Amino acid sequence: MCISVLQLFYSFFKSLVGKDVVVELKNDLSICGTLHSVDQYLNIKLTDISVTDPEKYPHMLSVKNCFIRGSVVRYVQLPADEVDTQLLQDAARKEALQQKQ
Amino acid sequence: MAVLSTADVTLVFSSLCTFFQETETAVSQPQWPENGGQWSDEEGGAGMDECGLAEMAEEDEEIDIYNNETFGMDMDTEVVDTEGDPTNPLFQFGEKPPALPALPSLSPSSPPFSPRARPQLRVQGPPGRRGRGQRGGQAMAQMFEDPAVVRTVEGRPSLQSLDSAIVDVGSVSYWDDLDPDAWMLSSYERTRHASGSVLQDPAIVCVMDSHAPGRGPNYLDSHYPFSNSSGRRGGLRGSYSNRPFGQRCPSQINTMLPSSPIVSRRPFTTQQPYNQVGGLPSPRPCPSTPQPLTPKMMQLRFGANSPRPSPFYSPSSNRVQRFRFPGPVTQLHPQHRRLLSQRQQRSQRKPDSWDPYCNLMSAKEKEWIIRLQMIQLQSENPHLDDYYYQEYYRRMEAKLAEEELGMRGKREPPKLTTPYVTKMDSYTPVVHIEGSLGQVAVSTCFSPRRAINAVAAHCPHEELKDIRQQRLDVLKKIEKLFMVLLEVEEGQRMKAQVLGEGEEKGLMEKTEIKVEYIYSQLQHPDLEAEEEFLPCLLVSKGKQLLARLLPFLSHDAALKVLSMVTSHLPVLMSRDSDESLPVLYPSLRIVIGGMTFSQLIGVLKDFTASLPDSSDGSVCLSLVCQSKFGLSLLYALLSQGERLLSSDVPLEPSIGDFETWTDTVFLVASQLSQSALVEPLLLPSNLLTLFCRYLDKRTIHQLKSNMESATGYLALPS
Repeated sequence: MCISVLQLFYSFFKSLVGKDVVVELKNDLSICGTLHSVDQYLNIKLTDISVTDPEKYPHMLSVKNCFIRGSVVRYVQLPADEVDTQLLQDAARKEALQQKQ
Repeated sequence: MAVLSTADVTLVFSSLCTFFQETETAVSQPQWPENGGQWSDEEGGAGMDECGLAEMAEEDEEIDIYNNETFGMDMDTEVVDTEGDPTNPLFQFGEKPPALPALPSLSPSSPPFSPRARPQLRVQGPPGRRGRGQRGGQAMAQMFEDPAVVRTVEGRPSLQSLDSAIVDVGSVSYWDDLDPDAWMLSSYERTRHASGSVLQDPAIVCVMDSHAPGRGPNYLDSHYPFSNSSGRRGGLRGSYSNRPFGQRCPSQINTMLPSSPIVSRRPFTTQQPYNQVGGLPSPRPCPSTPQPLTPKMMQLRFGANSPRPSPFYSPSSNRVQRFRFPGPVTQLHPQHRRLLSQRQQRSQRKPDSWDPYCNLMSAKEKEWIIRLQMIQLQSENPHLDDYYYQEYYRRMEAKLAEEELGMRGKREPPKLTTPYVTKMDSYTPVVHIEGSLGQVAVSTCFSPRRAINAVAAHCPHEELKDIRQQRLDVLKKIEKLFMVLLEVEEGQRMKAQVLGEGEEKGLMEKTEIKVEYIYSQLQHPDLEAEEEFLPCLLVSKGKQLLARLLPFLSHDAALKVLSMVTSHLPVLMSRDSDESLPVLYPSLRIVIGGMTFSQLIGVLKDFTASLPDSSDGSVCLSLVCQSKFGLSLLYALLSQGERLLSSDVPLEPSIGDFETWTDTVFLVASQLSQSALVEPLLLPSNLLTLFCRYLDKRTIHQLKSNMESATGYLALPS
């Protein structure tokens, strides 16, 4: 089962549930919204979304909530004060340790 | 539904028509012509007789009612938005996911329906009964419509709409008795509004009166046997056997009709309350812990006493909210949940707009899929597997608790954890979950990056390595030391828990060894004394490592580190491009707090010591004034001296200590009053007291104003 492998970012994004993020997709669309949920594939659900670029994407105007497949995400922009970089480094070290075992 | 092909539908529908032919009732539908050449006026042709539009309407209504019973309950969740929601947190799942009965079996099984048929549906009569003429034309038009599509009929309101009103009223009245706080239903509110208006319609009230006694409880009751359900579709016969509308034994045939046309034909206004209300009866508050759905997994065994994953309950009666908790199965850290509910309370309500595409999947289906994922994520050691999340919220909790109560060591509230699962140790490369399509993603390689770590040692000799390689070596070494440090900290955390005597000792010894190891490794073997820490210390990661190691070091070792830092302060400050020095400050401050006077003096000398290539000691100090870390360190040292001097503790000074002390104070004061100061990390409150004792008023004033301008607040409450 895929348990320990790449749980790091799942765990990380779980801690950001409820916070506002901006997701930039590989097709250059940037979506701003509240992170509603995430799964182990890093699929993302956003609520209350708005497209950050000035409505180059008018078809998104009426969309309130969306589900984004994890594989199409290029970046996720996070609020800096919601991230503990030290903890993230430690988590990465632990994950590396686990992978070696 | 998607499994259907039009061929299947046609096949079944034609069987349906055949079946209908055998019953003796009024004709309603044209017979499907075998031969395109035979049209209307012939005997064997299609035709309609006395059943007109009204009868067709009735028949349609009955079909609709039935279909809505069949399918409408699967649009049962009141989920208005497209997300999987905890609107039905109390589902009981059967063993199988809600799945359609095997469709291919329908065609062969349809003939058996005929003997049992109840002619609730108006059916075609035998050909002889067929009328002619005008009806024929109508029949033709109807005949060539898509048989799978239920015809739209205008006219008197269908029983369906009234039916939904009844359901509406009935369910609302029923649910009033329940605790509304158990639900996070936006629809609940709306339903009440809808029911209010519905009740004002006299026609509906009439119908309600006539149907209510028989209808209400029965109707609602039929939704309850959730536990034995494989959903609506599977348990049709049993559930609906006492329906006042009679048996719908040919239910299987009707299941073939796709639900989407049914949905689409319904005017939205009726659909809206219906769907939402339809959702209300289905989930009921369950007094006991519901059973989790366990999609049959090949390799997983659940522990006998494993706590069942309890669905997520909303603690409050928040109804409409912009942010919904992500699904009933998600288990949040209590701190996280508190944060989210606070957020919800603060956020404004927005009227939810109707989503015509919601409820395509039933809540059970959604939950099944979510549980499928969650089962894969269950772990025996959430602290490790879910390290970031658990640790992040644990720290936040601890910080808040500390702030609130002003004391440490508050007992941690019990946390929700993913339930314990006994895992098989064997590694299965191909995993198939029953009921799902395809395979589950399993990794086939556990550490592909191991190859990267196997960097060949190019050159054993130090001199031949270039700067970049040296830096890489240092970084790698620091990373290895970090792993050990993590173990040390983990040991520290475990020590907080209650351990046996022997265990604790063993743990402490191990910790000690590890700390020693790190300490020794930090020192570069080749360099002279006092410089051996430098390579690691010049890297910001090394500073972090040292800062976290300091609490574990013995006092002597810590002092050595401190003196090393102070003696090399200029170098450190100048090469601190990313300003990571302040990370050392908190740990060093603690070390300083434990220093004796003599030790203090020794360290202070470093501050006033002249640089090798300059004659004036103030050069170093001016640099210090420009560095946050340096200045803060200086302040901390002076503050400690002042504290020691003003306390009653006997100082036991060495010879010349007091002179050095006074000299230092003077020097520092003059430097501080002259140069511009940066804001320190912390300004001790007893500094000015110290200066007041030694210096004249003018200098004091200047000093004070200088320090205050840097910090923005009074150096000393005057």
